[in-house]
Amino acid sequence: MQRPAPERPANREGRAALVRMSRRTVLRGTVGMAAAGSLARPYIANAQAKTAVCWIGQGFVQQEDVAMKAVCDDYMKASGNTLDYSIMPFMALNQKIISALTSGDVPDLFFHDAPENFLPQYAWDDSLVDVTDVVAPYESQLSETAKLCSTFYNRATKKRSYYLCPIKQGATPFHIWGDLVEKAGLKMSDIPKDWDGVWNYLKQTQAPLRAKGMRKIYACGLQITTVGPNDGNNLFRHFLIANGGEAIVTPDGKLHTDDPKIREAAIKSVEFMTNLYKEGVVPPEALSWNDADDNNGYHEKLFVMDFDGTLSTELAMIKDKQAFYHDMQVLAPANKNDGTPMKTMLNAGGGMIPKGAKNLEVAKDFMKYFMQPKVMNENLKAGLGRWAPAIPQIVKDDPWWFSTEMPCLKPYITEIALNPTVPLYNAFSPAWGQCDAEQLWGQAHADVIKSNMKPAEAIDKAFKRCNEIFAKITI
Amino acid sequence: MSVTQQALAVGRGLAATRSRRHVLFGGLHGADYVWAIAFALPYAAIFLAFVIYPIAFGIWMGSDPALYDQLFSDPRYLTAVVNTLLYVGIGVNVKMFLAFMLSGFFIRKRWWIKALMVIFILPWATPALPAYMSIHWFLNGQWGMLNNILYALFAIDGPTYLNEHWSGLAANISAYIWKTLPFWTVILLAGRMAVPQELYEAAAVDGATGLRRFAHVTLPLMANLYLVCTLLDMVFALGDFNATYFVSGGGPAMSTEVLATLGIRYAFTIALPRLGVAAVMSALPLLIPLVILLMRKLRMSEGQL
Repeated sequence: MQRPAPERPANREGRAALVRMSRRTVLRGTVGMAAAGSLARPYIANAQAKTAVCWIGQGFVQQEDVAMKAVCDDYMKASGNTLDYSIMPFMALNQKIISALTSGDVPDLFFHDAPENFLPQYAWDDSLVDVTDVVAPYESQLSETAKLCSTFYNRATKKRSYYLCPIKQGATPFHIWGDLVEKAGLKMSDIPKDWDGVWNYLKQTQAPLRAKGMRKIYACGLQITTVGPNDGNNLFRHFLIANGGEAIVTPDGKLHTDDPKIREAAIKSVEFMTNLYKEGVVPPEALSWNDADDNNGYHEKLFVMDFDGTLSTELAMIKDKQAFYHDMQVLAPANKNDGTPMKTMLNAGGGMIPKGAKNLEVAKDFMKYFMQPKVMNENLKAGLGRWAPAIPQIVKDDPWWFSTEMPCLKPYITEIALNPTVPLYNAFSPAWGQCDAEQLWGQAHADVIKSNMKPAEAIDKAFKRCNEIFAKITI
Repeated sequence: MSVTQQALAVGRGLAATRSRRHVLFGGLHGADYVWAIAFALPYAAIFLAFVIYPIAFGIWMGSDPALYDQLFSDPRYLTAVVNTLLYVGIGVNVKMFLAFMLSGFFIRKRWWIKALMVIFILPWATPALPAYMSIHWFLNGQWGMLNNILYALFAIDGPTYLNEHWSGLAANISAYIWKTLPFWTVILLAGRMAVPQELYEAAAVDGATGLRRFAHVTLPLMANLYLVCTLLDMVFALGDFNATYFVSGGGPAMSTEVLATLGIRYAFTIALPRLGVAAVMSALPLLIPLVILLMRKLRMSEGQL
């Protein structure tokens, strides 16, 4: 029996529409669209050849974003190329970059202030374009740390090369509430030059301030944290340098935990920090702080001093004239504990080009433009000096950088451009990033504070794990 | 073979062809069949692009056995597994029990209970990130609101909640319960409202009131919904990283880390996304039975809600 034909719509117009939209019509339309697409494609491709897609990290203050947009706009005017740029927050940018490099659907340029968490790993994995040709014209002018922070080992080519076009660098200064120091009956000018001396002097502020009714105030915003991700590791590295252990990782990517001098420096560092904690001059919660907690606490004057990266701590309060221009003081670490000049650890930020970028030439051209000293200088000045130029001569030639208009700027720039510096160890081996991510140093502090382990035992435990991680990533 | 038999054989052949055709084409003919395909294609494409492809990509990313060697050698991994089991086991069950009890409270028809419901729903309506960050600061041992209240009322300094493993884990679980309790309460409330009033009236006629009415009418009718909700929430809780990440941050000393936060750390702190996927994939032995059980429950057609 023949199956009855399905009912058609009774509506005459509806039926007519269905009849007109026959299979043949659909097929004809599809073929037409495909043909139009094929014919139009070369023009679309040509248009894209002059357009680079850029992902840019958002600044901490609005001025940084305005400065970044100005660089992009100026480049577009000068070159005739187009930058299709997006500015996004730090964490979102990190996640987008990692997702893009994992999926292979990449833009033409990443511009990141602090790419050290992912850059060594992706250079190691051969996922980034070698930008030596972009950096070469300016290489002789770059600071040594900027060079080291921009060159990474690639396990496919088996050599180090430039994978970052460095534009900016940041350091870690002491942030001190000068008014609280004075209120405690001490003087900023009396702060000792040596590393431990700074902490020992400022910890004396706590008792007098509490006696004056500040019940919950602490002296030191010491990020002895086991949570991270970054501040606790950064603090430990500076203690290590101050105690003579800066060569724990060398530029060849080798770990030197077997060097007794380095072991001794690490033990001294853990001992000093855990003693401060046990003395009660550090907020107990510091053991569980995240990277924003010390900033929030410092801004609320819940402790007298903090040791944290860049000038974002001060710039966040730029609208509070009294705090920004008078009360908040910035101090560059001066000497190690042996009296020799302290070496500050610097990072580098700038542009990276992922492999698979469709408009490589425009991306490279933009970075060549951006690396010009004049362009670099104007951009970073407009960003209120939160980052210093990767070319140190710039700050020596332009008096703005050492002006006292912003009190926080001069000591910070002195730390970056005039004092001795070392690069982040991440530049030497991606294994260091894994040690940091596991919070090995914070764990060592917790072992001493909470499990009553001796500092030497805690360091031996951390070093053992460090060696296991480095053994898997050999250069 | 007789003519009749031959005719019947041809008929059977035709019927078999039609049957196969019915299975293949769903009884559609010609242009109708093409239109059906045309309408189904976008859905199939979306399903492929947004369900099948991500799952297959995830499985591919976590397919290298070397990743699991690396994962199992990380001292944080075992801690994260134990914490995940505690987080899911305690967090989900305590919450569902509370939600069930509260749904019994909120079904009452007094005006102030309706008003209270509006306030009760607020944690669910609040965006997760600021809510969890507020809890992190609320629990701060030195300057947090909780300890300030304790000091104001009793002149005592409260503990540093996030510095201890157990109180840190309890904080994460409590925050998760607080955030999602209203949602499940509303779901179970809707379930209670769907119970026919006639059943309660009949039970009342038979003398069943109070606890007996609850045990013999409400509980049996709600059991299936309760179980499905519990299974669903277990699947959600296994993948939840917000509460741990923003309340305790995995601290102290990574002791409250769960698999979801460990995976996020691998992926986005040290740019090892494949290891991050492997960390999450290692929860599959727990996740797959849950999903199978959930599917079986959803297919049941018993006289329950």
